[in-house]
Parts: sequence; C-alpha cells; structure tokens
Amino acid sequence: MSQGEPPTRSNDFDERLRRLRERTPSEDKVVPGPGLPSRTAVGFAFRAGVELMAALLVGGGIGWLLDRWLGTLPLFLLIFFFLGAGAGLLNLFRAAKEMNRDD
Amino acid sequence: MTDLSTGQSPLEQFAIKRLYEVHIGGIDVSITNSAVFMLVAIALVTAFLTLGMRQHALIPGRWQSMVELSYEFIAKMVRDNVGSDGMRYFPFVFTLFMFILFSNLIGMVPFTFTVTSHIIVTFVMAAVVFIGVTIIGFVRHGTHFLKLFVPAGVPIFLLPLLVLIELLSYLTRPISLSVRLFANMMAGHTMLKVFGGFVVALGVLAGWAPLAFVVALTGLEIGIAILQAYVFAILTCIYLNDAINLHH
Repeated sequence: MSQGEPPTRSNDFDERLRRLRERTPSEDKVVPGPGLPSRTAVGFAFRAGVELMAALLVGGGIGWLLDRWLGTLPLFLLIFFFLGAGAGLLNLFRAAKEMNRDD
Repeated sequence: MTDLSTGQSPLEQFAIKRLYEVHIGGIDVSITNSAVFMLVAIALVTAFLTLGMRQHALIPGRWQSMVELSYEFIAKMVRDNVGSDGMRYFPFVFTLFMFILFSNLIGMVPFTFTVTSHIIVTFVMAAVVFIGVTIIGFVRHGTHFLKLFVPAGVPIFLLPLLVLIELLSYLTRPISLSVRLFANMMAGHTMLKVFGGFVVALGVLAGWAPLAFVVALTGLEIGIAILQAYVFAILTCIYLNDAINLHH
C-alpha cells in the first residue's frame, strides 16, 4: 500500500480477488462437517465389505456369462471368481492407502 | 406384493405402488410412489436453489447462505479432486449431489418413500457416472486411456493377469458405488422400523429403551443421509479425475 499511486477502489478489489483465487485451491481440504462418521473404523469396514462383495459379484457374473455363452459351465466361473477376489483385494488395498494418506 | 404391502413387515416401506397406470407400447411406465418422490425431490431442489437466490444480494441472508454453501462445497470438491479442468463437469456433479441429498433427506420424513433405497435407482445413477467417465476418458485420451489398466513396472509374464484384475477392478466401480448408497439407506430405514416395532411390542414398561435408541438412530440416519450424498459425489469426482488426468 505504501508504494506507487494510491489504489483505486476497482484495482484494489481485483488485486484482492486475485490473491484470494490463488490461495483457494491449495487451502483447507474438503472434509465432511464435524460429527459425520466418515473416517471411522466402522465406515471403513463397511466400505471394505462393499468393495470385496462388489468385486466378487462382478467377477462371478462375468465368468458365469462367459460360461453360458461358451457352454463350459464351471471353468470361467471359477477363474473369474478368483480374479474378482484379486480385484476386490486390489480395491481394498487402494482404499486403505487412500485412508492412510488422508490422516 | 401381498405380504409386503399388507403385513407389518419392516420392509413394507420399500414396496413400489402404482399410483397412476400408464402403458406405452406394452411397457409399464406407471407413475409409482417412487417416481412421485423423485419429482418431489427435483421440485424441492429447484425451489431451494431458485427461491434462495431470488434476491441475489451481495451480502447473503440465511437461505442464500445455505444455497451458496452447497454450491461452493461441491465446486471446491470438484476443483480439489479433479482440477480446474474438471469444472466443466461441475453441473453434473452438483445435480447428482443435490438430488441424492434431497432424496435421502425426504426419506427421513415419516410416511415418505426413500427413492435411494432401491438399488435400481442408485445403479442407474452409478451406471451413468461409469459410462460417462469412460466416454470422457476415451474422448480426451483416445487409446491412451487404456494405460489406466496397465500397472507400471510389472514383469511381462504377469502383465496379462494384472491387466485382467485391473479391468475387473474398474468394472466393479458402478456396483460398489450403487450398493454403498442403496445398502446404507435400506439398512438404516429397516433398522428404524424394526426398533420402532420393538417400542410397540414392549409397551409402556420396557419400550423406553428402544425408543431412546430410535431417537439416536434417527440422528445418525440424518448424518448418513448427508454423508452418503457426499460420498457419491466425491467418488464421482475421483473417477472423473482418473479419466481426465489418467492416474490412480
């Protein structure tokens, strides 16, 4: 404020707006309001269960559809069931990593 | 239908009832209680946003503050998780968030129907997100988008297996996204009904304990209603981020 010409109302406002814009993205992270059970153990356990179940369901479903199409019933169901389990664990691993990073 | 709509089942609240029969070309498109409450949610969101901004004052009042707060909350979420590139998809995320939030909260009013407690509703929303994100990924990156499924630094003989697993993990997204919302809403509402039933069954003598629990549970359910809308929106942002910036 001490150097240069005195700030007119408009360029002072633009300057302050620019500074605010610069600050905004990196500032406080988005977290849910207080009292919301998001990062709790129960929340995570529920999420883990959903991830595993969904992956097994998708794996088994794809395997079953392939089998029905090719007429090789237990083969692809078994293969994709285990691949689904792998995908579920991968999702779980990523979720856990995410949770660690947030804390 | 007979058992669910007449009995004292705690699942009775989830029964779909046709209120106005419409058949177009042999397809049943009747107006059901679910459809009515979706329309109610849309009407309430629209009213909340437009009436709140009616005065568009520089210094907002209480209502306008709530509107601006919800707008900025999602805008910040998109900007932080996807980057300013993702702001193009902000209207979609905001619509999704407000619709789910209002559907969940309307469900907390007694005698209403919770739209999001049906998996087909949440699955359609998740499928739109999933297919949309996949299309955005391919449009922006072309075949480079497939790199999302190739983990870095893996021996060549393990690669086919890991690509399959990555692909399955990607296909899991719409299921886990929809099941999470649906299961939370359905379990919560069923639990409220079950404990409400205990209050009646135990009568004046011992009914106070489950009554106190129901009160606490109602508070928790309102929290979950808000939280699940937030979770759906932030996962949409995370998936968008994968598609736009191509990394896990």
